[in-house]
Amino acid sequence: MEATLRWRGTLTESPAAAAGSTTQSPASSKRLARARARALGQRVPYTMSDDERRLIDRLIERDEQAFSEIVHRYGDKVFSLIYRMLGSRPEAEDVAQDVFITVFKTIESFRGEAKFSTWLLRIAANHAKNRIKHLARRPTEGVDPNDVSEVRVVPDRPAPPVQARIDTPDAILEAAQTDRLMQEAIANLAEDQRLLVVLRDVEEMSYQEIEEITGLPEGTIKSRLHRARMAIKEWVDRHTR
Amino acid sequence: MDHEQAQSNFSDYVDGSLSERVRSEVDQHLSVCIQCRTELTGFRNTVGSLGRLKQTAPPSFLGDITHQIYKRSHGRFFRPRWKLFGRIPFEWVSLGTIIAMLIYYIAVLHGSPSGVRPAP
Repeated sequence: MEATLRWRGTLTESPAAAAGSTTQSPASSKRLARARARALGQRVPYTMSDDERRLIDRLIERDEQAFSEIVHRYGDKVFSLIYRMLGSRPEAEDVAQDVFITVFKTIESFRGEAKFSTWLLRIAANHAKNRIKHLARRPTEGVDPNDVSEVRVVPDRPAPPVQARIDTPDAILEAAQTDRLMQEAIANLAEDQRLLVVLRDVEEMSYQEIEEITGLPEGTIKSRLHRARMAIKEWVDRHTR
Repeated sequence: MDHEQAQSNFSDYVDGSLSERVRSEVDQHLSVCIQCRTELTGFRNTVGSLGRLKQTAPPSFLGDITHQIYKRSHGRFFRPRWKLFGRIPFEWVSLGTIIAMLIYYIAVLHGSPSGVRPAP
């Protein structure tokens, strides 16, 4: 992690060119193109909003404020996705940091063909998968599903949603047990199922977004997700009886 | 529709993405099958519990990332901001202020028009 990385110096292309050419056309022709694509049953090409484009342009120019804004906007989502994929807070922090560092370094490669959040979450999913593989080779340093400290309440930060609605010690313990049980169930899924469950049920993303992130067709996503949900339910049933 | 067929549609049923025809078939089966109704309740609860697993990034998240970038880029990006009065000792700030005032005083004294005399 401490390895020195090569940083790209000055910009090699203009921000407008780097962001892609789809938004160069007038708004009316974009609407027309979208309608035509829908009529032909094709995927509608994504067009960045002005706000998103400006933010990306600033990021390409290595604007530190823009980067901070990106981390503020998407930090929780990226962290949550990785944490639920890995089941370990320190690992998740490490990987999530790497994701944003990768974004800072490679933002020029974002072509604006999908939403920035989709691109970012694709990077996060790939990083998480790589770390799972890495940890599988070193099982002793991997996920510890019995680590209840993973669900501790962070004192100077709003608590995670499971703890947010509770106030008694019994309820805290029960929520921690539920959290642990669900995390164990997720950790026992196959890697591809794990990603789908986290994207759909934890992060509550649409099937279209999941398609864009995973590159899988909707039918495959639905069938794998169904198997994953059934497996989680069986796990929970088995461990709560 | 039997148990297996009904339960194979639970995921789409919960997501609300079943076609009208299949949904009514599942509903019909559920209305007469207590076992599948119980299974569906458990299935819904499981999916609902997953939705409460969202996490927030640690408070130091942004600081940790920018520090990593600073280190890995050899200080090129996210250099710590130079805080003038937070870093310079108070004595130096005081001395600088006195010197500035002295310079200003001398400039005013020697810069005033010498030909102007008070009226008789």
